[in-house]
Amino acid sequence: MRRSPGFALAVPAWAWLVIFFVAPVAMVVWFSFGYKPGIFGTHANDVLSFDRYVEALSPTFFATFQNTLWVGVAGTLLCLVIGLPVAYWMAVKAPPSRRGLLLALVMVPFWTNFLVRTIGWQVILAPEGWLSSLLQGIGLTNGPLDLLYTRGAVLLGVVYNYLPLMILPLFVAFDRVNGPLREASKDLGAGRWRTFARVTLPLARPGVIAGVLLVFIPLMGDYITATVLGGAKGNMVGQLVASQFQTAQNWALGSAMAMLLIIVIVLTVAAGALVVWIVSLPFRARHRLVLGDPPAPPSPPVPGPSDTSATPAGPRETQEVAA
Amino acid sequence: MNESRSPVRILASAGAAKVIRAELSRRRFLSFAAAAGATGLLAACSPGGGTQNAAQATGGALESELSIYTWGDYDAPEVLEAFTADLGPRITLSSFNSNEELISKLVAAKGTSGYDIVVPTGTFIPQMIENGLLSKLNRELIPNIEHMDPAFLGRAWDPENEYSICKAWGTTGFVYDKTVITRELTSWQDFLDAAQNEASGKTSLLDDPAELTGLYFWANGIPWTTTDPADLDAAEDFLVNTLAPHVSAFDSYPGGSAIPQGTHALLQAWNGDARIGMLESPDPDRWQWVLGAPDTEIWMDNWAIPAGAPNPEAAHAFIDYVLEPANSLAELDYIGYHTGATGIEQAAKDAQLERLDLVFFTPEQLETMHEGEVNDAQQRIVDIWNNTKAAAGA
Amino acid sequence: MNRRSRSDVALTAWSIVVFAFLFAPIVVIIVSSFNSGRLLVAWGGFGFDAFLSLVEKPAIRDAVWVSIQTGAIAAVVATVLGTLAGIAMARHPGKWVLWFAGLLLLVSVTPEIVDAVALLPWLVFLGQDLGIGLFSDGVVRLVVGHSLFATAVVSYIVRARLVGLDAQLEEASADLYAKPFATFRRVTLPLAMPAVLAGFLLAFTLSLDNTVIAAFVQVSGTTPWPVYVLSALRSGLRPEIAAVSTIMLLLTLVALALVALVLRRAGDSATQIARTMTGH
Repeated sequence: MRRSPGFALAVPAWAWLVIFFVAPVAMVVWFSFGYKPGIFGTHANDVLSFDRYVEALSPTFFATFQNTLWVGVAGTLLCLVIGLPVAYWMAVKAPPSRRGLLLALVMVPFWTNFLVRTIGWQVILAPEGWLSSLLQGIGLTNGPLDLLYTRGAVLLGVVYNYLPLMILPLFVAFDRVNGPLREASKDLGAGRWRTFARVTLPLARPGVIAGVLLVFIPLMGDYITATVLGGAKGNMVGQLVASQFQTAQNWALGSAMAMLLIIVIVLTVAAGALVVWIVSLPFRARHRLVLGDPPAPPSPPVPGPSDTSATPAGPRETQEVAA
Repeated sequence: MNESRSPVRILASAGAAKVIRAELSRRRFLSFAAAAGATGLLAACSPGGGTQNAAQATGGALESELSIYTWGDYDAPEVLEAFTADLGPRITLSSFNSNEELISKLVAAKGTSGYDIVVPTGTFIPQMIENGLLSKLNRELIPNIEHMDPAFLGRAWDPENEYSICKAWGTTGFVYDKTVITRELTSWQDFLDAAQNEASGKTSLLDDPAELTGLYFWANGIPWTTTDPADLDAAEDFLVNTLAPHVSAFDSYPGGSAIPQGTHALLQAWNGDARIGMLESPDPDRWQWVLGAPDTEIWMDNWAIPAGAPNPEAAHAFIDYVLEPANSLAELDYIGYHTGATGIEQAAKDAQLERLDLVFFTPEQLETMHEGEVNDAQQRIVDIWNNTKAAAGA
Repeated sequence: MNRRSRSDVALTAWSIVVFAFLFAPIVVIIVSSFNSGRLLVAWGGFGFDAFLSLVEKPAIRDAVWVSIQTGAIAAVVATVLGTLAGIAMARHPGKWVLWFAGLLLLVSVTPEIVDAVALLPWLVFLGQDLGIGLFSDGVVRLVVGHSLFATAVVSYIVRARLVGLDAQLEEASADLYAKPFATFRRVTLPLAMPAVLAGFLLAFTLSLDNTVIAAFVQVSGTTPWPVYVLSALRSGLRPEIAAVSTIMLLLTLVALALVALVLRRAGDSATQIARTMTGH
């Protein structure tokens, strides 16, 4: 009874999104039931049908979607594997006073325009670029480097540009598990890996989920990032949608394709969530047990076998290494 | 800049002449007094003339602002600066990334976009006229059109230049790496052959459906604006099944990075872009430019005034200003594309600009360059383009 | 050396490698900004020409300024909306959360080009047909366009921060008869602070890079920086594009150095709160 109505705080965001997202986008969705009138028009709705959806369901759409899904899944996993240790280090090992700075430093490279920083990569990776010269100079390779326009380059471009969207939510999630809870776990005799696996990671799970979604979902709709370094190999399904709106000036078909894409992505996310849920089912009970433990009473430390230097050593050592 | 802006205009004679001319034409028009007839002879002899919007320029005093919506970095900064210094209107530049974007913008704004000058590519002009997005030019206010080469006036998209005047034009050809392809390539057939052999996996195509299907049509002597389903099917079959597996990138501007970085061996490119890439390559002799043969395209970006432009007088004055030979040369030097002015070839040679073989073409070559058009095949060629990309990415 | 320090060293080394990875292309860009050649990517000798040419190109300065302004405002809007929504989702779970999360999912899954073609006529309608002059302003339009996905991002992150964290502190505060707003300001917000900060940074960054929506909703004179850069490809990117990036990076680093002190204090207080919360 002391509580305000639950969703009151979400009302401003809800209203904003309804006015500036739902209303205009609903109009575009409406276009998908119409058609393209003549060569100079973009959409008309005087005759309604599902024909555009039938058109959108082309083999090219699904072939391209397959490629996109591959890039999306591989890119998201790579971001997670690369970003997780960094986020953990920033939130747990780095000196607390520097965390804000580190957080900002993760973002600073991305305040350079997307195209410009991509060109930076091109200069590094080009056959006569920096990396190639370096590798040839020290005799590691004899020919010019052939990295650009390969699947590897696709992933490099994707991982580079989406890494902050993974690191930041992970950082925020690790940050809240900071200190006390992990100390408690160690105090109770758990090793560092056990502490990480049983305490830190489960508590950081919302962050992992947020990070994975924030990388995967926009990446599935993105069609520029993958192509700038990956060329033809980075062909994404978002390109199909954009080409209908832009080059074909067929907003009706573009809209139908966009709807199709949204549905397919949501289904993919749902399927992924289901798989994760099933896989994690056996572990669930054990996590709950650990989390259910009351926060440790300030008990005398029980030194574990690998625990002689206690917690304060962590940050200090890190500081030395970093310096 | 400060010098030409100062009231003592002894050195800035060209600028002073402009002011005087603008002033003269203004008085002339005021004395005309017949404001209704001010759109001139052209309006009188064209069928759509009566629907012209009221904000038409009459040669009155220039407004203090001018808003130009164009491609980024597409005009010599010294010309823009000198215009403001000489004639007054302060220029605001905005950029678009595609003609479709420009059109969507003008359509949505319903004449209130606030832009005074737009720079659409020729093939899109019929659509813009049809949708009432452009306002007719008052050619009386653009006397410098006399410096334009007739070859670049009256093109298919605007036969009488009622709405548009050439800003820059270009054509399509290709560039190849002579260290990889040691034989001589001279035509689109050679290009397609090399792409499947020496340059397989090292070939870059323009990222545009018309130039992609054009590649096949030009090589096979088919008009590239064809709407014949049989031609389109044949093009699709070849591009998707034969060519696509050898293509490593779809890049509309390889000159800006791919050529100087040597990432491909064979690149379809626009002439001005190829020129910059070859000029800036650390090893220019490695590259050979070939104009598309037997046929290729001519594209043209054009000065035009959108319907409802708030500053039509300044817009006309600006278009007239850039057509002046000296300014035309500055523009050519800055962006590397032919502006369509007469005698500019000699001027460019005198100014010792490099690689002019990628800027100027002989009348015979010009004969082989054909205008594109947005027609009933548009959806089909976009599909072919998407299918080719899907096949190349697989 | 025991296992602990070895894995710490490995962790630190990995982080340094990743930071080097993040900054690698930026180093190239800084070097390129001293290129006196015609093209950004092709070295034509050392010089300051690129910086000098910025002086005579107001279009570049305007574009950068529009982007910074829009980025900052859009980030504030998205952070305020997203933080409130994120707190609500974490603290007041219920059936509505499913619906709201579904809306956020839709916002993030919708291709940008759809937002772009939808927003343009909509903003024209609001600005001209309904006569709400605000929506004819370029910066306002850009802010609206950039804030959509960013709001979803901030909501996700703030929710991820708070969900599962005990609400006991807030309850205690309420039990002590603190007004709801005081509880919010003194307890909930500081708890969410790192997420709010991270969300703000992401929102700003996303806005700074937005090209597709920005290109459509911009009006005369408010071309943002990424649209300018993409559009300038047609005549070949010049080193001045890199020079802008270098200047922006320098300013950023100076600003960061100044803000570092403030952040340090904020970081401490966040840790403090976490400690208090878990009963230490």
